[in-house]
Amino acid sequence: MVNLTINGRVVRAEEGEMLLNVIKRQGINIPATCHHDAVEPYGACRLCTVEITKETWQGWKNYVTSCLYPVEEGLIVNTHSPEVVELRKTILDLLLARSPNARLIQEMAAEYGITHTSFEEIADGDDCILCGLCTRVCDALGFCAISSVNRGHGREIAPPLWEAPPDCVGCLACAQVCPTDFIEYTDKGTERTIWGKKFELLVCEQTGRPTITHEFAKYLSRNRDIPEEYFKLNDVSHRKELALTMGKITHWGREE
Amino acid sequence: MNARLVVTPNLCTGCRTCELACSFTHMVDGKPGKSRIYPIDGGFKDLWVPVVCLQCEDPACMKACLVNAITRNEETGAMVLDNDRCVLCMACVAACPFGCTLPDEVNALVVKCDLCDGDPVCAHFCPTKALQYKTIISTERRSA
Repeated sequence: MVNLTINGRVVRAEEGEMLLNVIKRQGINIPATCHHDAVEPYGACRLCTVEITKETWQGWKNYVTSCLYPVEEGLIVNTHSPEVVELRKTILDLLLARSPNARLIQEMAAEYGITHTSFEEIADGDDCILCGLCTRVCDALGFCAISSVNRGHGREIAPPLWEAPPDCVGCLACAQVCPTDFIEYTDKGTERTIWGKKFELLVCEQTGRPTITHEFAKYLSRNRDIPEEYFKLNDVSHRKELALTMGKITHWGREE
Repeated sequence: MNARLVVTPNLCTGCRTCELACSFTHMVDGKPGKSRIYPIDGGFKDLWVPVVCLQCEDPACMKACLVNAITRNEETGAMVLDNDRCVLCMACVAACPFGCTLPDEVNALVVKCDLCDGDPVCAHFCPTKALQYKTIISTERRSA
Protein backbone atom coordinates (compact mmCIF):
# COMPACT_ATOMS: atom_id res chain seq x y z
CA MET A 1 0.00 0.00 0.00
CA VAL A 2 1.18 3.53 -0.76
CA ASN A 3 -0.01 6.85 0.65
CA LEU A 4 -0.62 9.82 -1.58
CA THR A 5 -2.46 13.13 -1.40
CA ILE A 6 -5.27 13.93 -3.82
CA ASN A 7 -6.70 17.46 -3.66
CA GLY A 8 -5.42 17.79 -0.10
CA ARG A 9 -6.82 14.48 1.12
CA VAL A 10 -4.51 11.62 2.10
CA VAL A 11 -5.58 8.38 0.44
CA ARG A 12 -4.22 4.86 0.30
CA ALA A 13 -3.81 2.90 -2.89
CA GLU A 14 -2.52 -0.48 -4.03
CA GLU A 15 0.98 -0.50 -5.42
CA GLY A 16 1.03 -0.42 -9.21
CA GLU A 17 -2.49 0.96 -9.43
CA MET A 18 -3.06 3.73 -11.95
CA LEU A 19 -3.70 7.23 -10.63
CA LEU A 20 -7.03 7.59 -12.48
CA ASN A 21 -8.54 4.59 -10.65
CA VAL A 22 -7.63 6.11 -7.29
CA ILE A 23 -9.02 9.50 -8.30
CA LYS A 24 -12.28 7.93 -9.48
CA ARG A 25 -12.58 5.94 -6.26
CA GLN A 26 -12.44 9.21 -4.35
CA GLY A 27 -15.53 10.35 -6.25
CA ILE A 28 -13.62 13.04 -8.10
CA ASN A 29 -14.96 13.54 -11.58
CA ILE A 30 -12.39 14.13 -14.30
CA PRO A 31 -13.08 13.46 -17.97
CA ALA A 32 -11.49 10.36 -19.49
CA THR A 33 -12.97 9.30 -22.80
CA CYS A 34 -10.44 6.70 -23.93
CA HIS A 35 -10.44 4.82 -20.63
CA HIS A 36 -12.19 1.47 -20.21
CA ASP A 37 -11.65 -1.10 -17.49
CA ALA A 38 -11.64 -3.98 -19.98
CA VAL A 39 -8.50 -2.78 -21.76
CA GLU A 40 -5.06 -1.50 -20.85
CA PRO A 41 -4.74 2.28 -20.39
CA TYR A 42 -3.73 4.07 -23.56
CA GLY A 43 -3.49 7.81 -22.92
CA ALA A 44 -4.97 8.91 -26.22
CA CYS A 45 -7.48 11.60 -25.26
CA ARG A 46 -5.21 13.32 -22.67
CA LEU A 47 -8.27 14.65 -20.85
CA CYS A 48 -7.40 12.92 -17.57
CA THR A 49 -4.26 15.05 -17.23
CA VAL A 50 -3.54 16.03 -13.62
CA GLU A 51 -0.86 18.00 -11.82
CA ILE A 52 1.59 16.04 -9.71
CA THR A 53 4.35 17.09 -7.39
CA LYS A 54 6.32 15.80 -4.40
CA GLU A 55 7.70 17.52 -1.34
CA THR A 56 11.20 16.65 -2.51
CA TRP A 57 10.68 18.27 -5.91
CA GLN A 58 11.27 21.78 -4.49
CA GLY A 59 8.18 23.32 -6.06
CA TRP A 60 8.56 21.63 -9.45
CA LYS A 61 5.40 20.25 -10.94
CA ASN A 62 4.59 17.81 -13.68
CA TYR A 63 1.49 17.23 -15.78
CA VAL A 64 0.71 13.59 -16.53
CA THR A 65 -2.17 11.56 -17.91
CA SER A 66 -3.49 9.94 -14.77
CA CYS A 67 -4.76 6.83 -16.58
CA LEU A 68 -1.17 5.88 -17.40
CA TYR A 69 0.59 7.01 -14.22
CA PRO A 70 1.21 4.41 -11.49
CA VAL A 71 0.78 5.70 -7.94
CA GLU A 72 3.87 6.58 -5.93
CA GLU A 73 4.53 7.07 -2.24
CA GLY A 74 4.21 10.73 -1.21
CA LEU A 75 2.70 11.91 -4.48
CA ILE A 76 0.73 15.16 -4.22
CA VAL A 77 -2.01 15.30 -6.89
CA ASN A 78 -4.19 18.20 -7.88
CA THR A 79 -6.98 17.38 -10.31
CA HIS A 80 -8.42 20.86 -10.75
CA SER A 81 -5.59 23.38 -10.30
CA PRO A 82 -5.84 26.47 -12.56
CA GLU A 83 -3.03 25.13 -14.77
CA VAL A 84 -4.72 21.73 -15.19
CA VAL A 85 -8.05 23.35 -16.01
CA GLU A 86 -6.28 25.53 -18.58
CA LEU A 87 -4.60 22.46 -20.09
CA ARG A 88 -7.87 20.54 -20.20
CA LYS A 89 -9.57 23.51 -21.87
CA THR A 90 -6.93 23.51 -24.60
CA ILE A 91 -7.33 19.77 -25.15
CA LEU A 92 -11.12 20.11 -25.35
CA ASP A 93 -10.67 23.07 -27.68
CA LEU A 94 -8.53 20.92 -29.98
CA LEU A 95 -10.94 17.98 -29.79
CA LEU A 96 -13.78 20.34 -30.63
CA ALA A 97 -11.86 21.54 -33.68
CA ARG A 98 -11.58 17.94 -34.86
CA SER A 99 -15.07 16.78 -33.94
CA PRO A 100 -17.30 19.88 -33.78
CA ASN A 101 -20.50 17.83 -33.94
CA ALA A 102 -19.69 15.16 -31.35
CA ARG A 103 -22.28 15.52 -28.58
CA LEU A 104 -19.98 14.19 -25.84
CA ILE A 105 -17.17 16.60 -26.72
CA GLN A 106 -19.62 19.51 -26.92
CA GLU A 107 -20.99 18.68 -23.47
CA MET A 108 -17.55 18.26 -21.91
CA ALA A 109 -16.34 21.51 -23.48
CA ALA A 110 -19.44 23.33 -22.27
CA GLU A 111 -18.63 22.18 -18.74
CA TYR A 112 -15.32 24.01 -19.09
CA GLY A 113 -16.98 27.06 -20.64
CA ILE A 114 -16.14 26.40 -24.30
CA THR A 115 -18.96 26.58 -26.82
CA HIS A 116 -16.93 27.18 -29.99
CA THR A 117 -13.43 26.11 -30.80
CA SER A 118 -10.86 28.87 -31.05
CA PHE A 119 -8.97 26.85 -33.65
CA GLU A 120 -10.00 26.33 -37.22
CA GLU A 121 -12.55 23.55 -37.54
CA ILE A 122 -11.45 20.68 -39.73
CA ALA A 123 -13.58 20.89 -42.86
CA ASP A 124 -14.28 17.16 -43.08
CA GLY A 125 -14.10 16.63 -39.31
CA ASP A 126 -16.07 13.62 -38.14
CA ASP A 127 -17.11 12.48 -34.68
CA CYS A 128 -14.18 10.07 -34.30
CA ILE A 129 -11.72 11.43 -31.72
CA LEU A 130 -9.21 8.65 -32.51
CA CYS A 131 -9.18 7.37 -28.94
CA GLY A 132 -8.64 3.85 -30.27
CA LEU A 133 -11.04 2.33 -27.74
CA CYS A 134 -12.87 0.35 -30.44
CA THR A 135 -9.73 -1.28 -31.77
CA ARG A 136 -8.41 -2.04 -28.30
CA VAL A 137 -11.70 -3.61 -27.23
CA CYS A 138 -11.79 -5.62 -30.46
CA ASP A 139 -8.25 -6.85 -29.69
CA ALA A 140 -9.21 -7.66 -26.09
CA LEU A 141 -12.15 -9.73 -27.32
CA GLY A 142 -9.70 -11.61 -29.53
CA PHE A 143 -11.04 -10.68 -32.96
CA CYS A 144 -8.66 -7.90 -34.07
CA ALA A 145 -11.00 -7.06 -36.94
CA ILE A 146 -10.30 -3.32 -37.06
CA SER A 147 -7.29 -1.11 -36.42
CA SER A 148 -6.11 2.43 -36.90
CA VAL A 149 -4.65 3.08 -40.32
CA ASN A 150 -2.34 5.82 -41.65
CA ARG A 151 -0.62 8.43 -39.54
CA GLY A 152 -1.02 12.04 -38.52
CA HIS A 153 -3.71 13.95 -40.31
CA GLY A 154 -4.88 10.95 -42.34
CA ARG A 155 -5.26 8.61 -39.38
CA GLU A 156 -8.55 6.79 -39.14
CA ILE A 157 -10.11 3.60 -37.82
CA ALA A 158 -10.82 1.06 -40.53
CA PRO A 159 -10.98 -2.63 -41.34
CA PRO A 160 -8.08 -4.07 -43.36
CA LEU A 161 -7.93 -2.51 -46.84
CA TRP A 162 -11.25 -0.76 -46.15
CA GLU A 163 -13.04 -3.96 -47.12
CA ALA A 164 -15.55 -6.01 -45.13
CA PRO A 165 -13.38 -7.36 -42.26
CA PRO A 166 -13.08 -11.17 -42.43
CA ASP A 167 -12.44 -11.48 -38.65
CA CYS A 168 -15.44 -9.39 -37.55
CA VAL A 169 -18.21 -11.43 -35.92
CA GLY A 170 -20.66 -8.52 -35.60
CA CYS A 171 -20.81 -8.35 -31.79
CA LEU A 172 -21.16 -4.54 -31.88
CA ALA A 173 -18.80 -4.10 -28.91
CA CYS A 174 -16.82 -1.44 -30.84
CA ALA A 175 -19.97 0.60 -31.48
CA GLN A 176 -21.15 0.16 -27.89
CA VAL A 177 -17.92 1.42 -26.28
CA CYS A 178 -17.35 4.29 -28.76
CA PRO A 179 -17.52 7.41 -26.55
CA THR A 180 -18.89 9.60 -29.36
CA ASP A 181 -21.16 6.96 -30.97
CA PHE A 182 -19.34 7.38 -34.24
CA ILE A 183 -19.32 3.76 -35.37
CA GLU A 184 -22.36 3.14 -37.49
CA TYR A 185 -24.32 -0.07 -37.71
CA THR A 186 -27.77 -1.07 -38.80
CA ASP A 187 -30.03 -3.76 -37.36
CA LYS A 188 -32.89 -4.43 -39.74
CA GLY A 189 -34.94 -7.45 -38.74
CA THR A 190 -32.50 -10.34 -38.78
CA GLU A 191 -29.88 -8.52 -40.79
CA ARG A 192 -27.01 -6.59 -39.26
CA THR A 193 -24.49 -4.44 -41.08
CA ILE A 194 -21.31 -3.07 -39.51
CA TRP A 195 -17.99 -2.10 -41.12
CA GLY A 196 -19.56 -2.88 -44.48
CA LYS A 197 -20.06 -6.54 -43.58
CA LYS A 198 -23.48 -8.16 -43.58
CA PHE A 199 -24.49 -10.60 -40.86
CA GLU A 200 -27.47 -12.86 -40.41
CA LEU A 201 -28.79 -12.86 -36.84
CA LEU A 202 -29.87 -16.01 -35.05
CA VAL A 203 -33.58 -16.09 -34.33
CA CYS A 204 -35.24 -17.34 -31.18
CA GLU A 205 -37.26 -20.45 -32.05
CA GLN A 206 -40.17 -19.43 -29.83
CA THR A 207 -40.48 -15.67 -30.02
CA GLY A 208 -38.86 -15.07 -33.41
CA ARG A 209 -36.73 -12.28 -31.95
CA PRO A 210 -33.16 -11.86 -33.23
CA THR A 211 -30.30 -12.56 -30.77
CA ILE A 212 -26.63 -12.63 -31.83
CA THR A 213 -24.97 -13.28 -35.16
CA HIS A 214 -24.31 -16.80 -36.50
CA GLU A 215 -20.59 -16.04 -36.58
CA PHE A 216 -20.45 -14.93 -32.94
CA ALA A 217 -22.43 -17.97 -31.76
CA LYS A 218 -20.11 -20.25 -33.72
CA TYR A 219 -17.07 -18.54 -32.20
CA LEU A 220 -18.46 -18.90 -28.67
CA SER A 221 -19.37 -22.57 -29.06
CA ARG A 222 -16.04 -23.42 -30.64
CA ASN A 223 -13.67 -21.42 -28.45
CA ARG A 224 -15.61 -21.00 -25.23
CA ASP A 225 -17.12 -24.45 -24.93
CA ILE A 226 -20.75 -23.32 -24.94
CA PRO A 227 -23.22 -25.84 -26.43
CA GLU A 228 -24.78 -24.61 -29.64
CA GLU A 229 -28.32 -25.41 -28.47
CA TYR A 230 -28.01 -22.62 -25.86
CA PHE A 231 -28.26 -20.14 -28.73
CA LYS A 232 -31.56 -21.50 -30.04
CA LEU A 233 -33.67 -19.36 -27.70
CA ASN A 234 -33.44 -15.81 -26.44
CA ASP A 235 -33.40 -14.86 -22.76
CA VAL A 236 -37.19 -14.48 -22.45
CA SER A 237 -37.84 -17.97 -23.86
CA HIS A 238 -35.05 -19.43 -21.73
CA ARG A 239 -36.73 -18.07 -18.59
CA LYS A 240 -40.07 -19.45 -19.70
CA GLU A 241 -38.53 -22.87 -20.32
CA LEU A 242 -36.89 -22.83 -16.89
CA ALA A 243 -40.20 -21.90 -15.24
CA LEU A 244 -42.03 -24.71 -17.07
CA THR A 245 -39.38 -27.27 -16.12
CA MET A 246 -39.36 -26.20 -12.49
CA GLY A 247 -43.16 -26.07 -12.61
CA LYS A 248 -43.34 -29.70 -13.74
CA ILE A 249 -40.98 -30.83 -10.97
CA THR A 250 -42.99 -28.91 -8.37
CA HIS A 251 -46.25 -30.31 -9.74
CA TRP A 252 -44.98 -33.90 -9.38
CA GLY A 253 -44.01 -33.08 -5.81
CA ARG A 254 -47.54 -31.80 -5.13
CA GLU A 255 -49.17 -34.98 -6.43
CA GLU A 256 -47.15 -37.16 -4.15
CA MET B 1 -19.85 -19.72 -0.21
CA ASN B 2 -22.23 -21.66 1.97
CA ALA B 3 -25.43 -19.70 1.50
CA ARG B 4 -28.02 -19.97 -1.29
CA LEU B 5 -31.11 -18.11 -2.40
CA VAL B 6 -33.56 -21.00 -2.05
CA VAL B 7 -36.61 -20.82 -4.30
CA THR B 8 -39.67 -22.88 -3.36
CA PRO B 9 -42.19 -22.55 -6.23
CA ASN B 10 -44.87 -24.31 -4.15
CA LEU B 11 -45.09 -21.29 -1.85
CA CYS B 12 -45.02 -18.60 -4.54
CA THR B 13 -48.32 -16.79 -5.08
CA GLY B 14 -47.07 -14.72 -8.02
CA CYS B 15 -47.54 -11.46 -6.11
CA ARG B 16 -44.43 -9.95 -7.74
CA THR B 17 -43.27 -8.25 -4.56
CA CYS B 18 -39.79 -9.62 -5.28
CA GLU B 19 -39.81 -7.87 -8.66
CA LEU B 20 -40.60 -4.55 -7.03
CA ALA B 21 -38.06 -5.06 -4.25
CA CYS B 22 -35.39 -5.92 -6.83
CA SER B 23 -36.04 -3.05 -9.18
CA PHE B 24 -36.27 -0.54 -6.35
CA THR B 25 -32.97 -1.83 -4.98
CA HIS B 26 -31.00 -1.89 -8.23
CA MET B 27 -32.70 0.76 -10.34
CA VAL B 28 -34.03 4.16 -9.47
CA ASP B 29 -37.63 4.11 -10.62
CA GLY B 30 -38.71 0.67 -9.41
CA LYS B 31 -40.20 -0.46 -12.71
CA PRO B 32 -41.03 -4.18 -12.44
CA GLY B 33 -39.57 -4.74 -15.91
CA LYS B 34 -36.18 -3.66 -14.63
CA SER B 35 -36.09 -6.49 -12.11
CA ARG B 36 -33.59 -9.34 -12.11
CA ILE B 37 -36.11 -11.80 -10.75
CA TYR B 38 -39.33 -12.77 -12.49
CA PRO B 39 -42.18 -14.93 -11.18
CA ILE B 40 -43.29 -16.81 -14.31
CA ASP B 41 -46.29 -19.06 -14.83
CA GLY B 42 -45.14 -22.62 -14.16
CA GLY B 43 -47.65 -24.22 -16.54
CA PHE B 44 -50.04 -25.57 -13.90
CA LYS B 45 -52.90 -24.03 -11.96
CA ASP B 46 -51.75 -21.61 -9.24
CA LEU B 47 -48.14 -22.47 -9.86
CA TRP B 48 -45.61 -19.68 -10.15
CA VAL B 49 -41.86 -20.07 -10.43
CA PRO B 50 -39.68 -17.14 -9.39
CA VAL B 51 -36.94 -17.29 -12.03
CA VAL B 52 -33.67 -15.86 -10.82
CA CYS B 53 -29.99 -16.43 -11.58
CA LEU B 54 -29.01 -19.90 -10.35
CA GLN B 55 -25.37 -18.88 -9.69
CA CYS B 56 -24.23 -22.02 -11.55
CA GLU B 57 -21.19 -24.05 -10.55
CA ASP B 58 -19.91 -23.95 -14.13
CA PRO B 59 -21.52 -20.79 -15.46
CA ALA B 60 -21.99 -20.30 -19.19
CA CYS B 61 -22.03 -16.50 -18.74
CA MET B 62 -18.52 -16.52 -17.25
CA LYS B 63 -17.25 -18.84 -19.97
CA ALA B 64 -18.80 -16.68 -22.67
CA CYS B 65 -17.43 -13.38 -21.34
CA LEU B 66 -14.39 -12.54 -23.44
CA VAL B 67 -13.20 -9.67 -21.23
CA ASN B 68 -13.59 -11.43 -17.85
CA ALA B 69 -16.23 -8.99 -16.65
CA ILE B 70 -18.16 -11.79 -14.89
CA THR B 71 -16.46 -13.27 -11.85
CA ARG B 72 -17.54 -15.16 -8.78
CA ASN B 73 -17.67 -13.27 -5.52
CA GLU B 74 -16.11 -15.88 -3.26
CA GLU B 75 -17.78 -14.45 -0.15
CA THR B 76 -21.38 -14.62 -1.35
CA GLY B 77 -20.97 -17.21 -4.10
CA ALA B 78 -22.74 -14.92 -6.56
CA MET B 79 -21.63 -14.43 -10.14
CA VAL B 80 -21.06 -10.68 -10.32
CA LEU B 81 -20.97 -8.63 -13.51
CA ASP B 82 -18.62 -5.66 -13.49
CA ASN B 83 -20.39 -3.02 -15.60
CA ASP B 84 -17.22 -0.95 -15.93
CA ARG B 85 -15.48 -3.87 -17.61
CA CYS B 86 -18.42 -4.97 -19.74
CA VAL B 87 -18.18 -4.08 -23.43
CA LEU B 88 -21.81 -5.03 -24.19
CA CYS B 89 -21.06 -7.74 -26.73
CA MET B 90 -24.14 -9.64 -25.40
CA ALA B 91 -22.30 -12.97 -25.39
CA CYS B 92 -23.43 -13.72 -21.82
CA VAL B 93 -27.04 -12.81 -22.58
CA ALA B 94 -27.10 -15.24 -25.49
CA ALA B 95 -25.13 -17.94 -23.67
CA CYS B 96 -27.09 -18.17 -20.39
CA PRO B 97 -29.32 -21.26 -20.79
CA PHE B 98 -31.72 -19.91 -18.14
CA GLY B 99 -32.04 -16.38 -19.52
CA CYS B 100 -30.98 -14.78 -16.27
CA THR B 101 -28.36 -12.42 -17.67
CA LEU B 102 -30.52 -9.51 -18.73
CA PRO B 103 -29.93 -6.75 -21.24
CA ASP B 104 -31.04 -3.30 -20.12
CA GLU B 105 -31.32 -1.51 -23.43
CA VAL B 106 -32.45 1.83 -21.98
CA ASN B 107 -29.36 2.31 -19.81
CA ALA B 108 -27.04 0.31 -22.13
CA LEU B 109 -26.17 -2.22 -19.44
CA VAL B 110 -26.19 -5.93 -18.89
CA VAL B 111 -27.52 -6.81 -15.45
CA LYS B 112 -27.83 -9.98 -13.43
CA CYS B 113 -28.65 -11.04 -9.88
CA ASP B 114 -25.67 -10.44 -7.58
CA LEU B 115 -27.44 -11.63 -4.40
CA CYS B 116 -27.28 -7.99 -3.17
CA ASP B 117 -23.78 -8.55 -1.78
CA GLY B 118 -24.94 -11.39 0.43
CA ASP B 119 -28.28 -10.04 1.65
CA PRO B 120 -30.92 -10.47 -1.09
CA VAL B 121 -33.65 -7.88 -0.64
CA CYS B 122 -36.22 -10.01 -2.52
CA ALA B 123 -35.98 -12.69 0.18
CA HIS B 124 -36.71 -10.09 2.88
CA PHE B 125 -39.85 -8.94 1.09
CA CYS B 126 -41.27 -12.33 0.01
CA PRO B 127 -44.49 -12.62 2.06
CA THR B 128 -44.81 -16.40 1.71
CA LYS B 129 -41.14 -17.32 2.17
CA ALA B 130 -40.96 -18.78 -1.34
CA LEU B 131 -37.63 -17.00 -1.49
CA GLN B 132 -35.29 -17.63 1.38
CA TYR B 133 -31.63 -16.93 1.84
CA LYS B 134 -30.36 -19.96 3.70
CA THR B 135 -27.03 -21.17 4.93
CA ILE B 136 -26.41 -24.59 3.43
CA ILE B 137 -24.70 -27.24 5.50
CA SER B 138 -21.96 -28.71 3.37
CA THR B 139 -22.41 -32.28 2.17
CA GLU B 140 -19.20 -33.46 3.84
CA ARG B 141 -20.47 -32.43 7.22
CA ARG B 142 -23.83 -34.08 6.65
CA SER B 143 -22.32 -37.43 5.76
CA ALA B 144 -19.97 -37.36 8.76
